[in-house]
Amino acid sequence: MGFDSLVFFCSEALTNLRRAGVMTFVTVSTIAVALLLMGTFLLATMNMEFFLDRLQEEAMVTAFLVPGTASDRVSALKLQVTGFEEVSDVTVVTPEAAARELFTDPADQNLLQIGLGEGNNPLPYTIRMKVRSAADLPGLLAKLKAMPQVESVGYGEEAFRQFQGLSQLLWIGSVLVIILLGLSSLFIVYNTVRLTLFMRREEVVIMKLVGATNWFIRWPFIIEGFIHGLLGAALALVLLLFGAPFIMARLAALVPFFTFDLAAAHLFKLSIKLCLMGIVLGISGSLLSLRDLNAFGREM
Amino acid sequence: MIELQNVSKIYPNGVRALNDVSLSIPAGDFVFLVGPSGAGKSTFLRILFREEIPTEGKVMVDGKDIVGMPDGRVPYLRRNLGIVLQDFQLLKRRTVAENVAFGLRVIGAPENVINARVQETLETVGLSHKRRMFPDELSGGEQQRVCVARAVVNNPLILITDEPTGNLDPMISLEIMQLFLDINARGTTVIMATHNHHLVNKLRKRVIALVEGRLIKDEPGGTYAYE
Repeated sequence: MGFDSLVFFCSEALTNLRRAGVMTFVTVSTIAVALLLMGTFLLATMNMEFFLDRLQEEAMVTAFLVPGTASDRVSALKLQVTGFEEVSDVTVVTPEAAARELFTDPADQNLLQIGLGEGNNPLPYTIRMKVRSAADLPGLLAKLKAMPQVESVGYGEEAFRQFQGLSQLLWIGSVLVIILLGLSSLFIVYNTVRLTLFMRREEVVIMKLVGATNWFIRWPFIIEGFIHGLLGAALALVLLLFGAPFIMARLAALVPFFTFDLAAAHLFKLSIKLCLMGIVLGISGSLLSLRDLNAFGREM
Repeated sequence: MIELQNVSKIYPNGVRALNDVSLSIPAGDFVFLVGPSGAGKSTFLRILFREEIPTEGKVMVDGKDIVGMPDGRVPYLRRNLGIVLQDFQLLKRRTVAENVAFGLRVIGAPENVINARVQETLETVGLSHKRRMFPDELSGGEQQRVCVARAVVNNPLILITDEPTGNLDPMISLEIMQLFLDINARGTTVIMATHNHHLVNKLRKRVIALVEGRLIKDEPGGTYAYE
């Protein structure tokens, strides 16, 4: 495509957008509403993922050593674990300290005097550590479990699994919503472009008469689809970015332990995703409507 | 230039528009296509610019078999043809100059070439002073002249016209006819379907007559009569 042709296509597209004012408004609004809903779900999923990552990062991994492990062996193990690149902070908890933690209630302190004295404390040495990032957790768990002195490893997996399940559910829900909304808005965009094409039928027939290729006819419509998608995404983003803090504040009030993140990097990613989705919607709607151009002009 | 061998066209509703038509039109010829309504004249012309595909037979245009031509090649065939129809077919929201330029834009001609050719062609049809006007601001004859300008702006090998004077009064028809004769004098083959017997009888060009889809007359320097 030459530069003159590109300028011609763009000017055609802009003229057509202006002329078909109502149609343009309908298409852009449809894409905007669909993207607003998709964006809300994406935002919720992104927050959930962020929350889970933080949960994993803040979780303490506890390695329970085999009962009877000697204290010098424990010190050696601590040194070894400290050397792991996945670990950021290591603490050794002696059986006595573990017992004291276990019986924090003053009433239970007496048990320490009665049954859990020197020599008959059944609690093992434990090594507690923090992971540097959530992604390091599986690697660290594998390493710890492979150590013969480690009897078992705990990291609050139950709560974590529940959140992960919730996150997966939200993710599946988002994908479904995105597909359904995508298809329905694609259908509306398709019909709108079809109507515009019908309005410009005479023009298309004349274009074909003077030797225009199908792609020559399609390009202005594709550029229109691109602009529709971009405008729809921009509108959705404005609404989402103004509305999101309000929605997040309401959600934070409902679920106090949940932290909601609206960091600039995340919002930038979301904006890019929505713009791309808008453009794909606009262009594919146009392309779908223009697939049977060869039939045009038969009834001339 | 144009060759038809045993061409027949039967529409899906069973109507036989052309029946075993064979003829040849050399380059630079001027041909009147006559016959009553429904004789197959329009179908004949539409086959030439591959708007219709014959049910049987072979059609060669400028050495190319256009029956088996893939759809993707049809635009390139049409770039060598100028087409003028009865109902003007102008883009109402574009000026005279933009309408004429359209024929060059679709072939990707550069802007300076477009401007020069449009000016030249509008001068040929006598409309350069109305280049900025819109079709609705022109008379019927002027609109048809714009169509002719658009059809010839990229120097086509063949000019195909279907009842180009059908909506025009006799004086204006003569003006349009003179344009076709001028274009033909420059070497373009002209094929014109018409009911205007005055023009046909006056100009005495080759006359091809179709009746019920059959070729019943092919006469050089002929008259309108086909009964």
